[in-house]
Amino acid sequence: MGAFLVRRLIWLPILLFFISLITFALGLYGPGDPVQVMMGLHANPETIERLRHEYGFDQPFYVQYLRYIGNALQGNFGYSLVKYRDQPVGKLIADALPATIQLNLLAIGLGVLIGVPLGLLAGLNRDSWLDLLVRAFVIAGISFPIIFLNPVLTFIFSRRHDLILPAANLAVSVGPILPMVQGRWEGLLSAKIILPALIESTGVIAIMTRQMRAGIIEVMNEDFIRTARAKGLRERLVIFRHALRNALIPIATILGLMLGGLVAGSFLVENWFGVPGVGALTFDALSSRDYYVVMAMVLLIAVAYVVSNLIVDLTYGYLDPRIRKQ
Amino acid sequence: MSSSGNSNRWLIGIVAVLLVALCGALCIAGAGLYFLMQPGTIGSTPVSSGTTPGGIPTVTAPRAPAAGKNTLRLPGRGSGDPPTLDPALAGDADSAVYVVEIFSGLVTLDKNLKVIPDVAERWEVSGDGKTFTFFLRKEAKFHDGRPVTAQDFKYSIERVTNPALASHTAETYLGDIVGVKEKLTRKAQAVSGVEVVDDYTVKITIDAPKAYFLAKLTFPTAFIVDKNNVERGGRTWTDKPNGTGPFKLKEYARSQRLILTRNENFYREPKPQVDEVQFILGGGSAMTMYENGDLESVYVTISDIERVSDPKSPLNKEMTVSAELSTDFIVFNTRKPPFDDPKVRQAFALAIDRAKVVEVVYRKMSNVAPGILPPGMPGFVEGQAKVAYDPAKAKQLLAESKYAGKMPDITWTTVGAGGSAAQSIQAMTAMIKENLGITVSIQQTDWATFIGQLNDPNRNPFQIFDIAWIADYADPQNFIDILFRTGSTQNWAAYSNPDVDKLLDQAAVEKDTAQRFKLYQQIEQKILEDYPVVPFTVSNQYWLTKSYVKGMVYPPLIIPRLQYISLEK
Repeated sequence: MGAFLVRRLIWLPILLFFISLITFALGLYGPGDPVQVMMGLHANPETIERLRHEYGFDQPFYVQYLRYIGNALQGNFGYSLVKYRDQPVGKLIADALPATIQLNLLAIGLGVLIGVPLGLLAGLNRDSWLDLLVRAFVIAGISFPIIFLNPVLTFIFSRRHDLILPAANLAVSVGPILPMVQGRWEGLLSAKIILPALIESTGVIAIMTRQMRAGIIEVMNEDFIRTARAKGLRERLVIFRHALRNALIPIATILGLMLGGLVAGSFLVENWFGVPGVGALTFDALSSRDYYVVMAMVLLIAVAYVVSNLIVDLTYGYLDPRIRKQ
Repeated sequence: MSSSGNSNRWLIGIVAVLLVALCGALCIAGAGLYFLMQPGTIGSTPVSSGTTPGGIPTVTAPRAPAAGKNTLRLPGRGSGDPPTLDPALAGDADSAVYVVEIFSGLVTLDKNLKVIPDVAERWEVSGDGKTFTFFLRKEAKFHDGRPVTAQDFKYSIERVTNPALASHTAETYLGDIVGVKEKLTRKAQAVSGVEVVDDYTVKITIDAPKAYFLAKLTFPTAFIVDKNNVERGGRTWTDKPNGTGPFKLKEYARSQRLILTRNENFYREPKPQVDEVQFILGGGSAMTMYENGDLESVYVTISDIERVSDPKSPLNKEMTVSAELSTDFIVFNTRKPPFDDPKVRQAFALAIDRAKVVEVVYRKMSNVAPGILPPGMPGFVEGQAKVAYDPAKAKQLLAESKYAGKMPDITWTTVGAGGSAAQSIQAMTAMIKENLGITVSIQQTDWATFIGQLNDPNRNPFQIFDIAWIADYADPQNFIDILFRTGSTQNWAAYSNPDVDKLLDQAAVEKDTAQRFKLYQQIEQKILEDYPVVPFTVSNQYWLTKSYVKGMVYPPLIIPRLQYISLEK
């Protein structure tokens, strides 16, 4: 186990080196330039040349790259060039991360809480009306795009509806049931997080449900289940003690990989609801060629995925003794 | 046959079940979580009730406590966060809209876009039009109470023009001042054209008499900053700015909100009236917030325009239409075939029915551009562009052109990221196809790539493209000269007409305003006859504002405006 861990950790810096090199090169040699974006339509060639010189963009690639890496190793990830001019990138990301992590945690939590029982029910009652309903829901969850769910659910839940009931001679104002984030992020324990988290979780619910349904169907056909039944165990015990544990292993894998995505924001949900997370920050940085913000985000996500993969591999053994023995 | 019928029934069944399941699950989950996470909502908050004007009693669900009584809540401008609050670096409207409230300069613009005294109470111009002497108000103070002096102005100019600061606006807005260009290129240590005469007098010398120079000084680049504030705050000093403007920065939570409070000691009339202004940054549905009563004013987007324009809608009474000092152009690159032939340019111009595009695609939110200058711009006259829709004449012109029968491939470049290009562009290329039989392909590109290629006039690879120019200052020179003078970086059509250049030189130094505007009108006419561009649309902005907001200003340029607003709740 120890050797495995060391091997994995040695790979991390090598991986980060290649990722940073590619990202940096894409930024530098790709079309568009932060100085141009900054100046917009007011560019004149002398100013652009002058500013590129001041920022050091006129220096050779390796000089710029090494300078960046040198600073990054000392914890300085540079300053935003365009979108938040002169703000330290590390601080921008650190400020934006909590909101994204909270949102993703709740979305994944909802995904598991709703998806696993749904999949279990559907799998155990295969081809029943319940199964059909759940499968339809899975298709819906995967195929309804977020850009569609955002305005529709906002209209239903976040708007005040003024209903006039002439028969009862009454005007009733209902809602908003679920408020928008509205300029202030209040964290996990606020009603404002529910709607964005719910929308963010539709995909997760669908994946979890599907995986759980397929897993339980497969496990229920295994020999050891027949053995358990033959021993005269009650069905509930068969399911919860023998079947569920095995069916949950792929869920743990998916979950582990999703944990890596905790730090990656969703532009669509964050932007629509005004969640001050890294999704909107990264998207804006990309479109304005704010190199250093993009670099830092890419590196952060890479580290997060490597680490979550490692955790998945380590926990696997505990969940499935067969893997431990190999 | 029967199997297809069956599968149809299946499909309908699945879709129905799917919708019910989704809505059901979301409703249950949403409502359940809401009540779980809001302890005390059920039964403990009194439900307010009242009567509508029509006599129908109303029951209103409990609401979150509103902001303070004298608080104005507005949506943030543009895409959310301001890129900077530093006047020296603010080159975009999304930043300037806050900077002009927190900071101020020697002069500013009033509601009618007239240059008025600000920190300077008056000024004198020398006989040759090159030297401006400003006399500062003795009562002008920074937010921390320190009086503003001529040294502060001098420091601010030296700071903006320090090459290490890398201000991208310094050349554009201060480049007329003697010594600025030398300092930016490290050929001089200080700006020789800015001279402190005494504590309250400052003298500025410019390189040639320029009528629009004062208008340039109203831009944030020339604003006054506090040396202590800047030097102690380091690179992020604007987190706690000590400005001179009518409002102070109270809080800025990135992507959440920006809160300004009234500067009680503001030095000039009108003094700010609202206690606090909250800008809600981020969030794509400001309209929902407005309708919920959580914003005092909102910008109407095209998806809501029909609903709001309906005279029967209660929202219609709250609507205001304001002009924007900008023109959308269709630009022909006069260096690229086939648009090096004026006849082809004119043919294209006459083949496009702009009125129809405005009506069908823009739902009349924009108007057909009447000329190069947008209405509201000083010097604007009606009916400059005589680009009537005339497919017959267009066809004839094309037949007379040197590309008749051997038209090269044409690509229209436009900024966009969608699955298909903007409907307006698609409509116009369809019109060209229908009226001239020419297939124009559309290429979408992202903004950063687009301006990267556009800004280099020798490399500008586009044949035909669309672009909007928004006025920087209210002077026709900002359109006619900057966009059409030979060799100007913003002359995207690569248009060159020696007669026009000669007249532009003449207009630049003409001291009589009426005469100057007449010259620009004459030049505008000459340019339009050569068809380097087709003035396409001018935009209107549609706003909804609650009736209890008084004195709301919808300026076509960024001006300090919050001081005019009061609330009568």
